[in-house]
Amino acid sequence: MQNPGEGTHRGGSLAVSCQKVSFSYPGSARPALSDVSFELSPGEYVGVVGPNGGGKSTLVRLLNGLLKPVSGRVLVSNHDPATEPFEVRKHLGVLFQNPENGLVAPFVEDDVAFGLENLGVPREEMQSRVAGAIRAVGLAGYERREPDTLSGGEKQRVALAGLLAVEPEILVLDEPTSMLDAAGRREVLEHLHALRSQKTVLHVTHHLEELTGADRILVLNGGELSADLEPERLLSDAELLRENRLMLPVLPRLALELGLPPAKLRTPEELAAAILAAAESGTRAR
Amino acid sequence: MKLELRDVSYVYAPGTPFEVEALRGVSLVVEQGEVLGIVGGTGSGKSTLVQHMNLLLIPTSGDVLVDNVDARTLKKSDLRRRVGLVFQFPEAALFAPTVEEDVAFAPRQLGLGEAEVRERVIESLRAVGAGELSARSPFALSGGEKRRAAIAGVLAMKPEVLVLDEPTAGLDPATRRELLALILGLRQTGISVVLVSHDLDEVAEVADRICALHEGRVSATGTPAELFYTDPAQAPVTVRVASLLRASKPGIGTPVRFEETLQALRALQGG
Repeated sequence: MQNPGEGTHRGGSLAVSCQKVSFSYPGSARPALSDVSFELSPGEYVGVVGPNGGGKSTLVRLLNGLLKPVSGRVLVSNHDPATEPFEVRKHLGVLFQNPENGLVAPFVEDDVAFGLENLGVPREEMQSRVAGAIRAVGLAGYERREPDTLSGGEKQRVALAGLLAVEPEILVLDEPTSMLDAAGRREVLEHLHALRSQKTVLHVTHHLEELTGADRILVLNGGELSADLEPERLLSDAELLRENRLMLPVLPRLALELGLPPAKLRTPEELAAAILAAAESGTRAR
Repeated sequence: MKLELRDVSYVYAPGTPFEVEALRGVSLVVEQGEVLGIVGGTGSGKSTLVQHMNLLLIPTSGDVLVDNVDARTLKKSDLRRRVGLVFQFPEAALFAPTVEEDVAFAPRQLGLGEAEVRERVIESLRAVGAGELSARSPFALSGGEKRRAAIAGVLAMKPEVLVLDEPTAGLDPATRRELLALILGLRQTGISVVLVSHDLDEVAEVADRICALHEGRVSATGTPAELFYTDPAQAPVTVRVASLLRASKPGIGTPVRFEETLQALRALQGG
């Protein structure tokens, strides 16, 4: 199937569409996904959350054609990953959870170039794209390091650079910060945030605080899409959070337990000031 | 068991242009029955350090001591049974047709009788809350289930020290909490646990002592309160909030864990 204007987003067409998608792993009684339907418009930033075993990683594998749905249909930029996985992978790049598995080349720069080498990109353009991607993830100077000598967090950033170098218009990120320390995490998130207007992003994570700026959040639990809603609505719905084994980060949890508004207290400083104000007014009242 | 690293340095690719000094004179002790947290930024040497604990990596210089005996003089198979190492993403190493067979693999190598092997498999799967998974294929499990099966495989060796390298990465918050409870439960049985994590909130909940690494050196060692209140800017959220209030409300003390912090803050609010 050929499409005019392939490789760019066209007005009105969807980046990703899932219609009643179901999947079961062989030998497993319970379906990993059942009747999941949602759409991503070009340029949307959408989060995916839910418990382990909820179907998040299965969804990621269906989107890039590693798995084929048992029923229902997936379309990525109007291509079916079940029948055209290689076409789909030009449009949609996946950053998988475990960075170790992805790194194969002797040096960091070769690893970042790996995905590009199969696309027939001219040598000079390849070099500039690789250099740009390495800079973008904050690893300038690491070009000739051996991946074996890198930490888990550094490897994860190398894998992200390799993905960015291919320049897919849809990014699927499966726990992109799970191995990063606070500083590395902030850096990667800032970069992802900067891509927002240019890319469609599906961001799978266990850290709800990473998704406060997302357009929507999908909640997958027990293979079903149990909610598709805005971040503020999810964060303020204690019951929905509990049902889906989701937990608020420490700061809003402290605020909630103390009877203070979690959405308005975003830093330790703000929370401390609110506690102090409450303590003062309590003292005066007596 | 007391496990000690004395002045350990490690160099990757020595004598080549790619030489990297990953550890520089690291000394630390893991006391019997304690949870030692190892924290530090990306690339600070955490994973390199823990691989020295059962001599998967041999120090370029310095010593590893088990109950004051040079670990290099011990039988390697004994050392690796006594110090169980769970790598980052250990589920990548699951291979057998069922979870039960996978967990049984290592104890069987010890030459134990079949009854003893079965018993250990059941016991360690129960310890990680995965008893119901024994007949399943490891490949049909979720990420959290696989992680628990892999940890059970190491527990089945009955280690005296359990070393966990980023055990909660990629787990959902509820499963993460269960794993932290498992660590505290193991400590009660007398096992020492070394917990490597980049998540300070998590280390704050379970560690008796913390060793902080920076660029391959130990930058600080102490109880969580000692360490975090020395540098509250680099501390978990609980400590950052409490330390901001300490100037005007010294009575708040030095809480670290979530529950104790919440109680201290409530007391403050109540006047």
